[in-house]
Amino acid sequence: MPVMFINDQPVDTGEHRTVLQVALANGFYVPHFCWHPELSIVGNCRVCVVEQEGRGVGIACNMPVAEGLRIQTESEPVRAQRKAMLQFILLNHPVDCGICDKAGECTLQDYHYAYNGAPALSHEPKLHSTKFFPLSERIILDNERCILCSRCVRFTREISKSNVLGMEQRGDGMRVRPVEDRTLDDDPYSDNVIDLCPVGALLSRSFQYQARVWYLEPTASVCPGCARGCTVQLWHRRHEWRLKGLDGSHNERILRVTPLENPRVNGAWICNKGRDLGALFGRPRAGQALLKGRPVLLAEAIDAARRLVRGAGRRVALVSSWGSNEELRAFRNALADRFTSFVKADHRPGEGEVVEDDLLIRADKNPNTHAAQALFGNAPADIPDDTELVLVWGEGADFSTLPRGAKIVHLGAWLQPENGYADVFIPISIQTERHGHYTSFEGVVSAFEPCQRRPEGVIDAETLFPLLAAPPGSDT
Amino acid sequence: MKHLIPEFEHLKKRLPPGHDATLLVPCLRRVQEDRGFIADSDIDGLVEYLGVPRIQIEEVLSFYGMLRRAPIGRWHLQVCHNVSCSMRGAERLLDDLTGRLGIQPGETTPDRRFTLSTVECLGSCGTAPVLMVNEAYHENLSAADLDALLERLD
Repeated sequence: MPVMFINDQPVDTGEHRTVLQVALANGFYVPHFCWHPELSIVGNCRVCVVEQEGRGVGIACNMPVAEGLRIQTESEPVRAQRKAMLQFILLNHPVDCGICDKAGECTLQDYHYAYNGAPALSHEPKLHSTKFFPLSERIILDNERCILCSRCVRFTREISKSNVLGMEQRGDGMRVRPVEDRTLDDDPYSDNVIDLCPVGALLSRSFQYQARVWYLEPTASVCPGCARGCTVQLWHRRHEWRLKGLDGSHNERILRVTPLENPRVNGAWICNKGRDLGALFGRPRAGQALLKGRPVLLAEAIDAARRLVRGAGRRVALVSSWGSNEELRAFRNALADRFTSFVKADHRPGEGEVVEDDLLIRADKNPNTHAAQALFGNAPADIPDDTELVLVWGEGADFSTLPRGAKIVHLGAWLQPENGYADVFIPISIQTERHGHYTSFEGVVSAFEPCQRRPEGVIDAETLFPLLAAPPGSDT
Repeated sequence: MKHLIPEFEHLKKRLPPGHDATLLVPCLRRVQEDRGFIADSDIDGLVEYLGVPRIQIEEVLSFYGMLRRAPIGRWHLQVCHNVSCSMRGAERLLDDLTGRLGIQPGETTPDRRFTLSTVECLGSCGTAPVLMVNEAYHENLSAADLDALLERLD
């Protein structure tokens, strides 16, 4: 294994091929704008300069490792060059951090405080450019803030392969622009450029002016949008910043979704559908147990369901492919012997949605079909006409196709007309209100954590199934 | 553009396989020489022929000032406005031209005879001021020389 020296400490270069990779892997932070581990090397930002002893300064992102190489990452010439580079990068930057959504997680801000910190040397007036340029329905571009690192352009060329973005003109008139005949709406992965942007140039319309990022914190979760099971971070207000003065929904709301890097599943990316989980989880919730549409206490509804579950005759269960591994196991342990169980697709591809592609998106729009089918088989639902009870767990069941004479017990989380049609409706919790795991189509198990409070009157399916198995009249 | 493909095929033989995109600038120059400008159909043709994404062609077109997206007049008058030429009278030359032709840099006369442009250094500082008419240099240009030159351009 080749050994090199960074700041006089011997480090093992391992599999890495450039000095920047070795430095970052060994805990020596080297600032960088244009370099990204998943994208090609362009070396145009020039802030990752390091000093090779005896050879002067050079950019680390494109410096090959060699046996015995001696590198200084914070020497005087290095800091001086980074400072000069930052003066240059900030030449036409508006420094409008006060109204910039990126403030607080902007690397330009961080590096400025670490290496420059000085007012501009230039007395020339700053050049103005387009602000709020619409790249798509989802993304706006502020060309004044853009530092032309080209990460977004390389993403559309190398990762999403939509080839929508490019750099037009040259010099200080250079701008990121979409190709003439298309927009970024064509790219189902476009929102990744917002995370890739090291400054506040590419902004999400849905997140714009919604929150300062230092009031937010992420919760690790799994995207339920398809069978890939991408790991994501759900951003919501920090608990210490949940203020009484704000209305409850603002305190609890999921404000944005970002990828949680995971080389086994999604790498550093997620698709645009995953960005809209806030809207998916923000749909109106069902919080009231119902008997044929009549509001009742939860305990009463559970007791009614118990009586149906223990009744004679044929019973069929439509198991949710959105149930977590824990919930599916709880159902099998408590109730599987009382039902003929079929796995139901809770969600199907929506209109205009990308059904499947080579990067991440899978045709099965449910997160846990793999685990559900492992327990309950993959036979299509076949419900005989003499069925006396159908237990419908989750969304996606067409009640009009269920046998006329069958009683229906519906476990659902959302406010839907079907809830009142069912003989017993029991409101259950959603993914953001409980812990759990999903198994992806490749068999990778990923965990999600709760970030929202479970509403009053709503029960976790995992707790509910053993209660349903108990005799009527037992405690709930 | 299609009729130029045999010529492009000839250029392609000089490159290792898989480097077709390298031909983009030579192809664009040849198309412009042929048509006078780059039309939308030429871009579509090159996207298909070279297999490069359209955005990369648009980048190149906007980067190089010499590549045009619209037709120009018969005579393209290009005045260098960099330091050496400016010091030796290029600004007077430009004023003279805008006055006589009645157009500003970047515009074409209504009879489509002249198009006036300002350009960056033409690499002929020793013989400033320089006016480039289509592909020809006219150096050390005085007001009288300009009069005589414009007479010759019909």
